[in-house]
Formats: sequence, C-alpha cells, structure tokens
Amino acid sequence: MRNQLSRIVITVCFVILAVYFLWPTIQDYNYRKELSRLNGADSIAYAEKNHDDMLEAKLKRMKLGLDLQGGMRVVLEVDIIQLLNDIAKNRDDNFNTIIKEVRTETSANEVSVIPVFIKKFQDRGIRLSRYYGNIRDDDDKIISMLEDETEKAVDRAIEIVRNRVDQYGVSEPGIQKQGGRRIIVALPGVKDENEVRQLLRGTALLEFRLLKDPQISYKVMDAIDRYLTGKTDLDTAAAASAKDKEKKEPEKRRDALTELTGGTTVSETDTSAEAQIAREHPFYLYVRPDQQGNGEGYVAEKDRDRVVRLLERPEVQNLIPADFEFLWSAKVQTFRDEQKFYILYPVKKTPELTGNVITNAQASVDPEDNRSIVNMEMNSEGSREWARITGANIGKRIAIILDKGVFSAPVVQGKIPGGRSRITGMDSPSEARLLEIVLKAGALPAPVTTIEQRSVGPSLGEDSIKAGMNSTIIAIIFTILFMIVYYRSAGAVADFALIFNILFILGVMAGFQATLTLPGIAGIVLTIGMAVDANVLINERIREEMAGGKTLRAAIDAGYEKAFSAIIDSNITTFLTGLVLYQFGTGPVQGFALTLMIGIGASLFSAIIITHVIFNIMTEKGVNPNFG
Amino acid sequence: MRLFKKTNIDFLNVRRICYLISSSLILIGIITMFVKGLSFGIDFKGGTEIVLAFQERIEVSDIRTALTKVQLGNSEIKYYGTDNYVLINTGEQAEGTTIADHIKSAVQASMPDKAFEVVKEDKIGPKIGKELRTDALYAIIWAFAAILAYIAIRFKFAYGLGAVLALIHDVLITLGFLTILNGLIPGLNLDISQEIIAAFLTLIGVSVNDTVVVFDRMRENQKIYRSMSLGEIMRKSLNETLSRTLITSLTIFLVLVVLLVFGGEVNRGFAFTMAFGIITGTYSSIFVASAFVLDWTQYKNRKKAAA
Repeated sequence: MRNQLSRIVITVCFVILAVYFLWPTIQDYNYRKELSRLNGADSIAYAEKNHDDMLEAKLKRMKLGLDLQGGMRVVLEVDIIQLLNDIAKNRDDNFNTIIKEVRTETSANEVSVIPVFIKKFQDRGIRLSRYYGNIRDDDDKIISMLEDETEKAVDRAIEIVRNRVDQYGVSEPGIQKQGGRRIIVALPGVKDENEVRQLLRGTALLEFRLLKDPQISYKVMDAIDRYLTGKTDLDTAAAASAKDKEKKEPEKRRDALTELTGGTTVSETDTSAEAQIAREHPFYLYVRPDQQGNGEGYVAEKDRDRVVRLLERPEVQNLIPADFEFLWSAKVQTFRDEQKFYILYPVKKTPELTGNVITNAQASVDPEDNRSIVNMEMNSEGSREWARITGANIGKRIAIILDKGVFSAPVVQGKIPGGRSRITGMDSPSEARLLEIVLKAGALPAPVTTIEQRSVGPSLGEDSIKAGMNSTIIAIIFTILFMIVYYRSAGAVADFALIFNILFILGVMAGFQATLTLPGIAGIVLTIGMAVDANVLINERIREEMAGGKTLRAAIDAGYEKAFSAIIDSNITTFLTGLVLYQFGTGPVQGFALTLMIGIGASLFSAIIITHVIFNIMTEKGVNPNFG
Repeated sequence: MRLFKKTNIDFLNVRRICYLISSSLILIGIITMFVKGLSFGIDFKGGTEIVLAFQERIEVSDIRTALTKVQLGNSEIKYYGTDNYVLINTGEQAEGTTIADHIKSAVQASMPDKAFEVVKEDKIGPKIGKELRTDALYAIIWAFAAILAYIAIRFKFAYGLGAVLALIHDVLITLGFLTILNGLIPGLNLDISQEIIAAFLTLIGVSVNDTVVVFDRMRENQKIYRSMSLGEIMRKSLNETLSRTLITSLTIFLVLVVLLVFGGEVNRGFAFTMAFGIITGTYSSIFVASAFVLDWTQYKNRKKAAA
C-alpha cells in the first residue's frame, strides 16, 4: 500500500499541475463565450470589469496556430549578398563578377553566403582588404568583421520588422530568426495581404536626389534609340572596348531590339506612320519623351517590363553616363485619356539626403487636393542640410525616392527651413498610414525578399477547429467503446487512464506554451489510438498469464512486469521518429511531432502507473477486474 | 471478448510467397512512380496554391477557362473537400503574390456574378521547396538510422536490419499506392506535402512498434526455451503476439478512419496515407521483419558451418 500511495500522490500532483496550466485557457474560453453572449453596453462593461483577468488569461492560454485561428505567416530572407555589395569600397569588375557568381551559387540552396563569398576571393588570390576594412588588415580580421556586420544587419532587420508589425497593430505577433538570415513573421488574425506586403516588403530606404539636366537625359535617350537602329556612333567608353567585340555588336543590338519589341517586326513595305516610327525610332515607340522639357520618359503600363529589361542590358547601360540613372515612378500615372503610364526620371546617383535623418512621420491629407500624403520631420542636422540643399537648388527639381521608386519630383520653390518635407502621390489613406509606419521604424540595413507566404482565412480556421474537435471526440468515443467491449472492466480502467492521458497532453502543451495546430490535433487523435496500445499489451499479457494458471493478483503483476520491456522499446522507437520529425519539419508539422512526443510520454505514465494502481486497489478491495 | 483464439499459424512457412508478393507490389509502385511521376505539392516544388470558397457549386472547367486567359490554364484545379471549394495550384513563379493576384482577378473578371472568399493562400519560393525536399529526405534517412541503431543496441544487428527493411518496404508500397490513387478519388488530394511526409514518418514510428513487440517476445522466449530453434521461437512468438498486434493496429486504424472522415481537409491526406500504411506495417512486421531475421541468421549459420 505504501508503494501505491506514492504512485497516487504523483498522479494527483500531475493532475493538479495539468489543471493549473490549463486554467487560463479555460478561463479565456469562458470570457469569450460570455462576451459573445452579452451585447452592446453590457459587453463593454463586462470587458472593463474583467480587463486585467482577461488579459492575463489571454497571455497564458494555449496558443492556437495560424491554421486554426487564421492569419498570415511570412518568411523573409535578408539579402546578405546585397549587403556585402553595399558595404564594399572600390568595387570593380572582379568584385562584381564574384558577387554575381555567389548569387547564382547560393540561390539554389540554403548555404551560408559568407564562406562561399570568401572562398571566391581566396581562389582568385585577391586580398579582402582591397574591398573591406583597412588596407593593412589580414583576411581573418576582415572575415570576422564581415560576419559581425551581417549578423548585426539581420538582428537590426528583425528589430525593424518588429517595430513595423507592432505599430501596424497585430495582437500576439510572432517574430523569430531562423538560421543565419531568415525571419519568420507570424501574424494571427491578419486578413489584408496587400497591407502586410507593403508593411514587410520594402527596405524603406528614403532618398532625396537631384534630377539630371533634361538636355543630357534627352541626349542619352537619343543615343539608345540610335543604338537600337544600328546608326550609332558608339559612345567613347563603349568604343574603347568595341574592337574585340566588333563582330558581336550587331547581334547584341538585335538582341536588345528584340528585348524591347518582343520580336514583332515591321514589314518594310508598311508605310503607316507607326510603322515608320517603329523602324526609325524603336526606342521612342515605347518611351515617349515628355513635351515640357523635363527630361522624363513616359512608358505605357504594358511596356514597362520590356523597357526595364532593355535598360538593364550592359551595352545600353554603357550609353548612360556614370553619374545618373533612370528611375521609375513608384506609381502608375493615369492621364486624362485614361491611358496608364509609368514615368522614367533621370536622377543623379548620389542622394543629397537619406531617410536616416527622419525623426517622425505623420500620415495626413493634402488640404488642396484631398489626396493622402505623409509629412516628415528631420533631426537638427538633417534640417540644416535640407535647408542648405533647397537653398542652393532653387528652380531645380528634387526627387523623393522610396526604395528606388520616385514618388514625386517637385521644383524647389525656395529654401525650406525646419526640416519639413512630404511624400505625395499615395493612393489611399491606408497606404499613407503604412508608409508612416515604415518610415518611423527606419530603413532595413539590407533588402529582404519574401520566400514563403501562407495565409489562412478565419472561416477555414473555424472549420478546422470544428473538424479537429469532432474527430477528437469521435475517436475518444470509438476507442472507449472498443476497449470496454473487448476487455470489459479492465478496458474501462484503460479508458479511465486515457482520459487522464488527454488531460496530461493538454496540460503539458499549455505549460510549455506550445502552439496547437491542426496537424497537432491529428497528433492527439493518433495518440488516443496508440495510447491504448500499452494497455492492450498489458491486458493480453495478463490474459496469457491467467491462461497459464496464475491467480488474478499474480497474473496482473506478471503482466505488468513482462509487458514493460515491450512497451518501453516500442514507444522509444516511435518517440525517436517524432524527434526526427520535430527537427526537420516546419510550422504545423512540428506541432504534430510535438503532440506526438508529449502523447507518448503521457500515455506511458497513464497506461503503466495509473491503471496498475487501479487494478491493485480493486484486487485489495476484493473487486476482481474482469479481463474479458 | 476475444477475436483471436490461441493460434498456431506457421507464418514463416509462406515467407517465400510473401517475398514475391511484396517485391511485385514494390515493383508496381516504382514503375508507376516512373510512368506517372511523383506529384509534389507546392511545399516541395514551390509555387502558389490558393483555395477559393464560393457560395454555390462551381465547375472546374469554368475556372480553367478563366485562368487560360491569363496564361495559367495549365494550373492544377480541383475541388477541395466539397464542390464549392476550389483549389488552384500552379508552379509558376513571380515576385511576391503576383500569381495569386492574377488568379483572383481572372476568376473575378470571368465570373462577376459569383462571389468568392479566399480561404487559404500559400506562396512558396523555389528555394524553400528545394530545401524542404532535402529536409524530408534527411528526416526519413535519420529516422531509419535512429531505429536501426536503437534496435541493434537493444537486440541484435540483424534485428535492426530486419526492422528497417520492413520499414523501407512499408514506405515504398505506401508511396506506390498513393501514386497510383492520386487524382483518382475526388476530394482527396494525395500530392506529396509536408503532411504526407509527416504521415510517412509517423507510419515508420508506428509500424516499427509492432516489429519491436514481436522481437521483444522472441528475446523473452529465447531465454525460456533454450533448446528451441530460431524458427520455432519465431513461430511461437508471432502467434503469442498476434492478438495484440491486430488489436492495436485495429484501434489505430479505427482512429485514422475517424480522422479521415471528420478530421478536415488538411488532415485527410495524412489519415489516408497512415491508414493504408498501418495495413502494410502490420503485414510487414510479421512477414518481412521476422522472416528476414530468420533467413539472415540461417544464412550466417550455414556460412559458419561451411567455414
């Protein structure tokens, strides 16, 4: 009986612990039910009265996965290669080739970028100090410096993403680092994908850049046009290297032209005005120079991709002077005749000022035209610079650029004191609000790309919860009935232990603050089927021992003793696969692996300890359990 | 109640026939995999998957017509559970959720009178897909390695080998079965997804359970009946544990059927895979794992005697 007592005490302790951990979840459920029952003023009063308790219950309750409550999960990858490119100095052709190679090699799989990157330099016998750190630094020092930089960049990116998400207002967001350069963002209850995309996508790099002289812009456009028709007198920079390329040059030109036209050719005999333009000025057919002498180009929405590809070609890049580039307008512009255009702005490459001087941003509405805008304030240093820049460039245009997209390019009317500036051209107040958030949170140290995005609507989540609940309950009823029919009172004892088992699983999950997912529920359902296995093993063994002539009491003890090694060995092998699954799985599958492992542990305890205690007590009291 | 009386079936006598049956099943499966191809879900191939819920029954062909207009006509389109839920799945890649947006606007434009709600939208980059594939492969290899090591330590190396062989047998037959059935049963999506991989790993864990219970009984009987031959020990142990093996498999099978019927769309592929796997798992722990151990030991003994 002493032995029994300790087992009973342990069981009772576990039950109390499980209930203690589950209590906030139960309370949270009750509060919600009450709130949905009450309405109007009553529910507000109820919420106010129980505010603190409700908050605590909410914090400590068992978390539901995104697949059950609806929401979005986004995996971002910080572009380390871009970062390595950005912090390098004296970049040359060698360096650019390496960057390109590293990008192709690491795009296919999850390898660390830095070792690959460094190996490229070492293979070529180039010292890293040519591009990074101090000229006297040895490679090891620079490597550790680069590792440190990227680590910091990823951490800072997480910090900024968290700021953005917090300001956007998501309850219980989950933001964590995965591996060296990934960020997992879980946003429960979030429905609007467009907003989230805007919130997470951009680096939010704000730049103020001067526009290039329109005349030069026109000249460059002319040069590109002439190049495409083949009438070009090659630019001096290109001419130097033209000799060895001479043969390939016409082919490249044709390629570039096909890139732009998409392969459509104009018949020589077609004499319509359009065909004539297409033949003589293919570039202007797609990019129309503005008529006001601003040096801008207008590109129809449908042609944008083609022009982007054309401008990316190295031979076209050679035609553009090194100190400026063409940037696109951030938004498509609609003209009076309902045609949609993107604008190409010729802007200088070096920004006059960047967004790190911004201290505050505020979404607002322009009183003149009722369009959404964002007003910005700068720190004192930024304000002084801004005043100087605007003062020195009266009559010129300054482009306000966010993540390489030009929002506006107003003419400077006069010196602007006090560090005020604004971004105009927002489509909606919500877009302005999102921009306010990302500007306040600051720019990301390196670009991030979304490599995975999953969203589940709340209605599917509700269906899943219902399906999960139903299948759990039905599985329990089936199993309970089966055990009673097959093993009679011994089956009932196993069923009793099964109920404890489920309580323990939920308790452990709540205690670890684990997240319950739909596959997790599948894990619980499966555990119900498997949990009785230990009891089946024991009960079959007891039947055998009784058939061998042992008394009931002796058969029970022998049954437990002899079944033990089989139970342990078989459960450990299952547990091992659960462990492997947890290690390699992601998200919901990990939830499954977790419940499976917890379930195995809990079922071992309840099937071996609890049922044995009950059998012993029954036999001591003279109630003989029936093994069917 | 007793479903199984004390039995004395000579399972191992028919093991040669079983080898034949198993190898032909595996062969059929592998041939199907090559002919039909393994069909991966977007978790593993990357792409976009979107589930639209309509108010009423919707024709798959209408959706296809709508998507053909935006060059996405080759997408996989099927019912998701019921016939007012449609799952659209494409391997096309583009930045962000552009593809999903194309799909939504195309469907809306072509069926303006039919309102729908987006209940699920996944976009997986090609990189993630590739990583998940290698991860899944590693997971299965690691699971095999862990089981082999554990059983080799607790029993003998040959037992570990037999158990893992039986598991490989289960995985291959189940995979072949899934490949054959995929696309044939309406409303049941058997593309290889993360959930299906989870089902395979769980299957490995549960199937080895039966094998271990048989081995445990053999270990025990070997100590008691020292003069008995391995074949006789095995026959005795298999018969003694038969009732337990079948009862346990039956309860797990029942629970999986419950999950299949009531567990929701996400769990359906999982439950189906496991339910079938439980059957092969039960079969293989009797006819493959133990039979292999017997043949292996006999072969070793003959070699020793010859030497």
